[in-house]
Amino acid sequence: MRTVLKTAAGLALALALGAPAIAQDTLTIGIMVPTTGSEATYGQDMANAVNLAIGEINAAGGVLGKQLTSTIGDDGCDAQLAVNAASKLAASGVVGVVGGYCSGATIPTLKIYGDANIPLIIPAANSTKLIPENPGNAFMINSTGNDQVKKAIEYFNAKGVKSIAIINQGDAYSQDLADLSKKEWEAAGNTVTNFEVTNKGEQDYSAVVTSITSANPDAVFWTAYYADGGLLIRQLRERGYAGLIAVGDGSNSPELFKIAGPAAEGVIAFSNPTAEFLPEAKAFAEAYQAQFGAAPGPYSTLSYDAMKLLAWGINTAGTTDAAKVIETLQGANFTETISGPISFTPEKTLARSNFVVLEGKGGAWTLAQF
Amino acid sequence: MAQLPERPSAWGGLSAILDTPTKQWTVTAVLLAAMVALPFVTDGYITVIVTHALLYVVLALGLNIVVGYAGLLDLGFAAFFAVGAYTVGITTQYFGLNFWLALPLAVVFASIAGIIIGTPTLRLRSDYLAIVTLGFGEIVRLTARNLRETGGASGIRGIESPWIFGYHVQSNIDFYFVFLILAVLGIIVSVRLANSRLGRAWLYVRHDEDAAEAMGIDRVRVKLAAYVVGAIYGSIGGAFFAANLGAISPESFSFRQSVEILMVVILGGIGKIPGVVLGAFIVILAPEFLRGVGDLRYFIFAVGLLLIMLFRPSGIWPARSKR
Repeated sequence: MRTVLKTAAGLALALALGAPAIAQDTLTIGIMVPTTGSEATYGQDMANAVNLAIGEINAAGGVLGKQLTSTIGDDGCDAQLAVNAASKLAASGVVGVVGGYCSGATIPTLKIYGDANIPLIIPAANSTKLIPENPGNAFMINSTGNDQVKKAIEYFNAKGVKSIAIINQGDAYSQDLADLSKKEWEAAGNTVTNFEVTNKGEQDYSAVVTSITSANPDAVFWTAYYADGGLLIRQLRERGYAGLIAVGDGSNSPELFKIAGPAAEGVIAFSNPTAEFLPEAKAFAEAYQAQFGAAPGPYSTLSYDAMKLLAWGINTAGTTDAAKVIETLQGANFTETISGPISFTPEKTLARSNFVVLEGKGGAWTLAQF
Repeated sequence: MAQLPERPSAWGGLSAILDTPTKQWTVTAVLLAAMVALPFVTDGYITVIVTHALLYVVLALGLNIVVGYAGLLDLGFAAFFAVGAYTVGITTQYFGLNFWLALPLAVVFASIAGIIIGTPTLRLRSDYLAIVTLGFGEIVRLTARNLRETGGASGIRGIESPWIFGYHVQSNIDFYFVFLILAVLGIIVSVRLANSRLGRAWLYVRHDEDAAEAMGIDRVRVKLAAYVVGAIYGSIGGAFFAANLGAISPESFSFRQSVEILMVVILGGIGKIPGVVLGAFIVILAPEFLRGVGDLRYFIFAVGLLLIMLFRPSGIWPARSKR
């Protein structure tokens, strides 16, 4: 028994110590994503995309003449685990980090990367709460909630919508989006006929549907998730609501069509740029499929772009010196991306909205033209 | 002869080897010196993960009082941790309170929470108690997730780290020492409690409630005291957790968290203080040291836990030798 335990302990130690030593002629990139826990699939998709980008960069000669390697820090989508992972990456001498999926887990790591003076590119986490916590070394290349609202209003205006009903579920994400939409929409001189909050998991939306059909707004904007959104859309159409229905990026899942059925035809969704809707991403999606045997995930394109951006930043700065790299990234006007050009606001968030507009057609999402 | 329940003691099964105060003090001094020296001889990562382990020492010592001392199975201990963290988050953010004023408030609120969960559950035992405490833990988490004051699902951010005598406690090493001090205080209080009148009352209640009551022990008061003391440990841990991370969100207080703390207690050995400390270090540090293994690390960790439970079902720390 004792020998069994000793052997097991020895084996574990050997494995732990056996991590590849960092050679002199390589630069290491940290990848901080959840590879365990409920969000593990998204994290793995992101890590794969970063590694795909690293492979391409290395094939093209590397960065500053050196090859890149990567090391993954699993943040488990948990604040404390993320702090551990970030400390590990910071202590392992990485020249930059690509990562941050869960906003809540990413926020406490900002200070660690800031103190260690490591450039951080955040491909997914997009809560506006990250912005004031940024010590100056982190760059968010995913659009924030503010940008989604801008895109939504742009679309509504293009369609001549004057009055909307906004419905959310009372959780942080959908409520923030609803509040922001209401504020911006009214500031633009338009009207919000209904501002409703529903409970998660509700089956019967007749009360909300009745009040919407009687006010009859030009459009209904559902800011929460697809599972309940699908039911609401169905019940709205069954009761004869004929106006425009739009949903936020929490509802852009193909599952919406299974739940709403034919009622989802013509529904508009705002979405982050995923590989299937980006014409430039075709080669990326094929390379990804070939290397990992699966289709890229929702944040794969942004993770790929994040890695390319970081490599560009170091190459252009001509050094791995963090201050210079950060300065270079701040002034970036980087166009060799698949999800659109990247440049930053003074707050180090993406300067444009990367949201795309999707339309439900034949039981699937297609890119909407407007 | 019926086996007597084991009295929680400072050294547990090692009291046979460490039989003189000189030996005990030497071991204590060496361990403490090693802990103090640790952040200066290792890198920042080791400091951070040991800080994390020390937080779990504090939390598990608190749960150990409820589960180990008083024998009340609690599956919602993260609730007290959450109350502590959110009290500090809310009072410092919305009311501009100093951390040191928020801390006693956190303790007060957690004590109230301890009484709230303790009172209706006094009649319940074992499985039923486990279900109610599980529900309580989820209620607290879901409340935090849905209230505007607690920042909903995205939580509270920008919590100021505390100042002490003009010194700003903010670096990782500062917080390492904060949690080291908390853990040491927690151990001292746990040891003192075990030997106190209340500690003996817990022992009797755990062993046989009815007999204890017949002997004049106020069952209600004693059980509530266990919940309240446990809650105080949890809330202090939570308060400093919030100050350390600067941001809190409901995911940190999930059922998994409660289970993890319970795992520390069971793994180390229920009621054994050094076992609990060792358990915390194993549960937190093992997955970290296994990071090099990659995807398999939680698998290896789980197998290790299973092996420990198979071969040492009453916890890692040796049981006290029967004389």
